[in-house]
Amino acid sequence: MSVWIGSMQKHIEGFKELTTYNDIVNIAAPKEIYIPLINGVSTAFEVLVKEGDRVFVNTKVAVRNDRFEVPLFSPVSGVVKGIKKIMHASLKPVDHIVIENDELYESTISIPHLDLEKATKDEVIEFAKVAGIVGMGGAGFPTYFKYLTPATLKVVLINGVECEPYITSDYRMMENYTQDLITGFIAMMKMANAQEVHIAIKKSKKKLIKYIQEAIKPYPFASIKEVDDVYPMGWERTLVYAIYKKRYVKIPCEVNVIVNNATTAIALGQAITKQMGPTMKMVTVSGNGIKNPANVFVPVGTPASHIIAQLGGYTDENITLVAGGPMMGKTMTTDAWVITPYTNAITITKTEQVDSMTCLRCGTCNDHCPAGLLPVRINNAEQAKNVDLIAQLNADLCIECGLCTYVCPSKLEVTEGVRRAKRVLALKKGA
Amino acid sequence: MKLQFKVSPTMKTRQSTQQIMMLLTLGLMSVVLFSSAFYFVEYGMNYVVHLWSLLAVAVSVAVASEAVWAYFLKKDIVKYLKTSFPWVTAIILVLMVPISTPLYPIAIGTFFAIVVAKLMFGGFGHNVFNLAGVGRAVMLFSFGAAIMPDLVTSATPISSIANLGWVVKDAVQLETFLAQFGGISGLLFGWYPGAIGETSALLIMVIGIFLAVKNVLDWRIPVFYMGTIFVLSALVAAIQGLGIWFPLYNIFAGGAMFGAVFMLTDPVTNPTSASGRILFAIGAGIITMLIRLQGNYPEGVVFSILIMNMLSPMIDRFTDGWQLELSKKYVTSIATLSVVGALLMGVVGFNLQAVAIEEPEPEVPDITLSSPIALDQSASATQGVILSSSVDGDATVVLVEINGYKVLSGEYDDALPNKVEVRINTSTLKVVSVTVVEVKDTNNIGTKVDNPIFLDQFKDLDQTGSVDAVSGATVTSLSVVRAVYAALEHVKGGE
Ligand code: SF4
Ligand code: SF4
Repeated sequence: MSVWIGSMQKHIEGFKELTTYNDIVNIAAPKEIYIPLINGVSTAFEVLVKEGDRVFVNTKVAVRNDRFEVPLFSPVSGVVKGIKKIMHASLKPVDHIVIENDELYESTISIPHLDLEKATKDEVIEFAKVAGIVGMGGAGFPTYFKYLTPATLKVVLINGVECEPYITSDYRMMENYTQDLITGFIAMMKMANAQEVHIAIKKSKKKLIKYIQEAIKPYPFASIKEVDDVYPMGWERTLVYAIYKKRYVKIPCEVNVIVNNATTAIALGQAITKQMGPTMKMVTVSGNGIKNPANVFVPVGTPASHIIAQLGGYTDENITLVAGGPMMGKTMTTDAWVITPYTNAITITKTEQVDSMTCLRCGTCNDHCPAGLLPVRINNAEQAKNVDLIAQLNADLCIECGLCTYVCPSKLEVTEGVRRAKRVLALKKGA
Repeated sequence: MKLQFKVSPTMKTRQSTQQIMMLLTLGLMSVVLFSSAFYFVEYGMNYVVHLWSLLAVAVSVAVASEAVWAYFLKKDIVKYLKTSFPWVTAIILVLMVPISTPLYPIAIGTFFAIVVAKLMFGGFGHNVFNLAGVGRAVMLFSFGAAIMPDLVTSATPISSIANLGWVVKDAVQLETFLAQFGGISGLLFGWYPGAIGETSALLIMVIGIFLAVKNVLDWRIPVFYMGTIFVLSALVAAIQGLGIWFPLYNIFAGGAMFGAVFMLTDPVTNPTSASGRILFAIGAGIITMLIRLQGNYPEGVVFSILIMNMLSPMIDRFTDGWQLELSKKYVTSIATLSVVGALLMGVVGFNLQAVAIEEPEPEVPDITLSSPIALDQSASATQGVILSSSVDGDATVVLVEINGYKVLSGEYDDALPNKVEVRINTSTLKVVSVTVVEVKDTNNIGTKVDNPIFLDQFKDLDQTGSVDAVSGATVTSLSVVRAVYAALEHVKGGE
């Protein structure tokens, strides 16, 4: 395949050593917590508390009420101060429930008990729904919904690849919550009626592989699949192709595989054993722009600025702050946004000025696009305002992985050009 | 504190276009150094000086043209040059010409390549044709074989084989032919004169691999291009019954390797998709072979590159779409193109005719015959000396030494005897053939007897026959007659 199309992936420098081995920093909740009323792109939420209400740790404060049901829980005990619109990590102003933290951490239980041994497939799926389990790898897609597929599933693939540079939160989660990971994937096998669990980890993470291998010994249905250290190996399509040599049209279920992030499995495991929703999050804060890069364990709703201050602050006057990893995350112009259940990283780097120059038509971007697109052609078509050509080039299949910009030797913002083309296409479809 | 906004991704590879161009320059300069060493060792310092003069002229013309252009566009000249890389074109162009090229054609070729083919098309990244290719074509058309008077170049390997009609079947002829360039391995190491940079295929290959590993060029292009040339010439070799030397020759001799690594890979004039570049490279390979064999034109590489450059935008349009969905179409079209190429080459291959130039039929100079000489009139005169005599089937072969001029006159003291070989049928005692082995008589006069018009007269004669002498060389004719008589006498006597 790669001869005719290109490699569709690339090894990129990971800088993972910055946060793989040092201590995880527990960050106490600040005085005020902001629960963002957003999931994916949806802001359709029913707020279950009102100003002045007292809430506990684990109190269900809101629930998404459109096509999907996603509950949100309070990570602290305290008093609801109201609703405030602030900038969210998706670069949009979004409503947040403001909770004043009384620092007592009195807790309640809002999730039913699940007896995993006896539970049926449907019961586990229902449990995942009420526990508010969403894709923790950054997407935030409701996990229960994926398992409602009528397709026959043979394998649950646990995605522990973590291909974005700098990010090590999945690594640290898998290493520290191995038992929860196991409970999580057993529950997922139940939801999928699958016979096997495969855990995908990069070949280069030798230590973790050894460690997990030891831990899953008692579970003969589980095994590790080692994959190459390339980007975007963590993308479902790339990963499924790398392991099973199969391509699918829409979702991996077509090839009898269901993919879940490792941290999602851990969150599910914790919900089952501890009866708590995803209110705490492991976040990698890394890059040369932060004094003490580390993984932090923080309550959902904590502002980024609070975390950054606890890690010694910025190293420079001019910094670039990204919510997420440097490839797919969004650059923020403020650090006032808060951690969501599916935030996995804050990448902070010193701002570097790079000069771009004319495209030399090298085709490197085309060779590496994991979606099999031709980014430079899409850029040209967008500049020529040729909507038909943009459509023919299937710009809408772009996942904005950023690889085309990354590889471009002329330092052009190729991904941004494809984004613009996608918007042109969306407008045309809307019209 | 400033939080910089920037569209994602914020991380970029360290490799830059500037680095790519520097590595390419480095690769080209290695070829320049190799060639300098070659000309120094084989021809002397003034060749090296000329090589570097060519380089200096081409690079200055290229840089100066772009600087002036930038000045008129009111751009920062240094910045403009740093992102335009005019010297790359200049170096490639110099490497494509023979060492005997004078300075003014290279200046004009460079100027045309830079100003017309590059700047007028919009500058770096916008040219349609390979710049050095354009420069070379301009030079070929306007100056043809303009050469420096005091520098010599021998024929390039590709033009020499073109002169032979490409098909060299005779083993001896092949060996002498290849020996000019030190055999196939000689071509590989490149210690023979050709265009300045088209010499060592091995060196260029090594540089190509280095540049491919460094992501400076796409390995697909040289691999598929050279692969196509190899397969097509192997096909022709199979049809014509030539050996493995033929495909190897096509790969290692001449500019194919140089074009594959340094010109065809020029990204600006390439299609941008992987499969497009494969189609591009195969197409160029087919055209190169067609121009070489059918057009019998040695510069197949340059023109195939220019033709494919023209097709690049079309190939890009052809491969537009979702690669995963189209990969089947790509494989089929690549296969189709290969088959078409093979068929074309098959037709060309069948029609190739060897042109025998290497060992031309010894030319038969016009001679006229005059008064007859009877063989037996020799009976009374000086006898030839029988040097050797051997039996070969029906015939006896006798080598006779016979005095030529020396016999006739004292004036020619230092005249040496001639040698004649006579083949005589042992049973009928008649002459089968006469061969003049050595004529020591005056060149251009005495040597006239070594001519079938004269010698064929002896056929089937016995001692009673007579032949007509060669006019203007009667003395030497007479000496041959005497030798034949002596030989007949010897065979008869031996019975
Ligand atoms: S950002 Fe889009 S176009 Fe660019 S490489 Fe990724 S998927 Fe392809
Ligand atoms: S990688 Fe950059 S320079 Fe190369 S073709 Fe793509 S956009 Fe152009």
